[in-house]
Amino acid sequence: MMSRASVATMPPMPPAASEPESARTAKVLIRNVEFYYDKFKALKNINLTLRDKRVTAFIGPSGCGKSTLLRVLNRIYELYPGQRATGEVLVDGENILAPGRDLNLLRAKIGMVFQKPTPFPMSIHDNVAFGIRLYEKLPQSELDDRIESALRRAALWDEVKDKLKQSGLGLSGGQQQRLCIARAVAVQPEILLLDEPASALDPISTQRIEELIAELKSDYCIAIVTHNMQQAARSSDYTAFMYLGELVEFDETERIFTHPKERRTEDYITGRFG
Amino acid sequence: MDVYARRRFANAMVMAFSVVATGFGLLWLVLVLWTLISEGISAITPALFSQMTPPPGNSGGLLNAIAGSVIMTLIATLIGTPTGVLAGTFLAEYSHRSRFGEVIRFINDILLSAPSIIVGLFVYEIMVVPMGHFSAWAGSVALAIIVIPVVVRTTEDMLRLVPNSLREAASALGSPRWKVIVMVSYRAAIQGMLTGVMLAIARIAGETAPLLFTALNNQFWSRDLNAPMANLPVVIFQFAMSPYADWQVLAWGGALLITITVLCLNIGARLIASWSTFK
Amino acid sequence: MTAETAGVARVAVQKGRAGAIGDVVFRGLAFFFALLVLIILGGVMVSLVAGSWPALRTFGFFSFIITEAWNPVTDEFGALAPIYGTLITSAIAMLVGIPVAFGIAVFITEICPIRLKRPLATMIELLAAIPSIIYGIWGLFVFAPFVQQYIQPAIINTLGQIPGIGMLFAGPPLGIGVLTAGFILAIMVLPFISSIMRDVFETVPAILKESAYGLGATRGEVIRRVVLPYTRVGVIGGIMLGLGRALGETMAVTFVIGNAHRISASILQPGTTISASLANEFTEAVGRLYQSSLIALGLILFIITFIVLSIAKILLLRLEQQAGG
Repeated sequence: MMSRASVATMPPMPPAASEPESARTAKVLIRNVEFYYDKFKALKNINLTLRDKRVTAFIGPSGCGKSTLLRVLNRIYELYPGQRATGEVLVDGENILAPGRDLNLLRAKIGMVFQKPTPFPMSIHDNVAFGIRLYEKLPQSELDDRIESALRRAALWDEVKDKLKQSGLGLSGGQQQRLCIARAVAVQPEILLLDEPASALDPISTQRIEELIAELKSDYCIAIVTHNMQQAARSSDYTAFMYLGELVEFDETERIFTHPKERRTEDYITGRFG
Repeated sequence: MDVYARRRFANAMVMAFSVVATGFGLLWLVLVLWTLISEGISAITPALFSQMTPPPGNSGGLLNAIAGSVIMTLIATLIGTPTGVLAGTFLAEYSHRSRFGEVIRFINDILLSAPSIIVGLFVYEIMVVPMGHFSAWAGSVALAIIVIPVVVRTTEDMLRLVPNSLREAASALGSPRWKVIVMVSYRAAIQGMLTGVMLAIARIAGETAPLLFTALNNQFWSRDLNAPMANLPVVIFQFAMSPYADWQVLAWGGALLITITVLCLNIGARLIASWSTFK
Repeated sequence: MTAETAGVARVAVQKGRAGAIGDVVFRGLAFFFALLVLIILGGVMVSLVAGSWPALRTFGFFSFIITEAWNPVTDEFGALAPIYGTLITSAIAMLVGIPVAFGIAVFITEICPIRLKRPLATMIELLAAIPSIIYGIWGLFVFAPFVQQYIQPAIINTLGQIPGIGMLFAGPPLGIGVLTAGFILAIMVLPFISSIMRDVFETVPAILKESAYGLGATRGEVIRRVVLPYTRVGVIGGIMLGLGRALGETMAVTFVIGNAHRISASILQPGTTISASLANEFTEAVGRLYQSSLIALGLILFIITFIVLSIAKILLLRLEQQAGG
């Protein structure tokens, strides 16, 4: 339960970079996107922009479609028949929803971390190398360097550097999730999609993940779905509030949490529902 | 007797019956194994493993039969396992709720329990007749046809247990479908798949009927896969039904060998299945 | 784009294309082998029909089924004796096996202490793992003589004396015969039936049983009034599966059935089954009609087991749906 006053007294976001916000590259343009699970319309007419080197948070009650929208962005829904999306999603000007696009190459440029940690049944080294080996031919030393830098970025290197050959399944939940993050950044994607990355973790791991996101921001366009409003308020630059498949409000995080324009947004933020 | 006492009596009867039934089942297990060991143990000598099957009235061993069984079981496994794994993969990964998949699954389960002598008859018609003679190849193919449905079933079941989140994670990295299956799904399911293969081997190790009209039998040592090959089950069949005491002793020895092998494979399969899942 | 990034991009596209080809190839292989399963079954049916055609054409399908005579010398063949033997031995197997399997399933799921469950279940499953030829020679050398010495005389002197049904139990005690074969079959199929019953019993929601116990029902009543009705479809499916196995069982039966191509009223007498006839005679069968008649027997067995197993499968599928599987 958060009152408007308590939200307003939270520490403000660090000041934006010196360039004016509107000139910040629009990395992903989502235009008139609609999504169907068979006959059920789960997303209605979504329009918003994800900016590069910024974090955009998606909040809303369960079932509002925020995860669905995230999964549109890397077209992971294509794995399941009966699920489809219409509209346009422009990444660097190119519509990724266009038919005939190579999905696998697309997904190599867009990284995703899921709610539950999903380490592959192989060694930590191979886990991180998996994505790299898919599309690059690197000499062993360069591969090892990439793996080390990815694990460092995920704040996991110190804990696993002596046991790279051990199975990824032997790590704790928080470590596994950081492993998944390392795996995702190892392929040097341009966009990172995080679907409630900390919801299955204990508070300490959650905090570390949030610190990670703050660091990663400087290199990637990040979209994060979260149930945790404080997390959204703390970590993101932009916030989108969704409800029942519609985009209710989208604005800079500070404005959403202090002066929401829509009634529904205000109700959600102050805890009147959801 | 009042109603309550009657009900308690009826309940006691049911309970007593199930205890007796269980004892009954276990009794036969013990009896069969006991007979097997007591009759067969005398045949377990070094000679068993070093000499060939003898003509009646002579002493000998089962070497050619053991070798033949091992060879044909191996070939059948080599043919049947990849076939079964790929077919099971199709059912689990490529055919969610498709009509075709349902039909294949149905047919597969029927083949799983179909009489093995019919399989022997089938392979006789398609291999022995055109080739003009019995052969170890035909025997191996017949055994492979028994292996396939078992492996299909266990592969499909094990792959279905792999959580979709794992597949999504691999796909999200841009992995092509086949790599997702081979490098992630298979690795996750490898324990169960291996168990299935071992159970299939345990099944064919003792099968006689499919070999009766395909590999037939061979008195001598043969490495020719294109000719009839000696094998334990058919040798046991022939020797046991005969009136010769030496042959009968050898038959018991062979039976004990087969049973030990089958039981070890079964226990081995269970051990693999219960091996610590994560590590 | 620098030369280096262009090179990296090229490798990526190459690998991407290789991956796409790999996808097509792999899916094609998987599809092919799945199709193979279908082809095998189709092949079995076709080859059986083709092989039995000469016999069926000579004798006529219907008359082949109802003729008892089996004479290789005069080339007269009839399937009645083997069919009868197959059905009667399986019937005996079911009569003995189903109650025992039920008792075992009840014991393991409801009565047995938890620590014993796994080992006990494993031991019963070992009964199923023992190859049928082992049962065969055990039956021939151990069980049949025992039956001949003790069981059969006892039966003949008691049940065999009753007017009317005494016919069923008449005859010299030979040890081998229809009853012996049926009994051994029972031992062989009861682990299958029991294991399916066990699985099916475990699907009953605990809440259902608890509410019955809460009303004061005894264990036996809960089993009879709650568990059985709930699992009825699955239990029948399991029974049909056991029946399918019993019908097709070869080696155990061959050793102890006596291999007589005739139908006797008494179940103490020898007979034959389809699979036993095939096992004993096929490799010696000289003459096209002889061989073809045997294959026709195989065709009949295949049809019977196919129908039984299909029913079993349909019932078990229905159970899965009911359990929300």
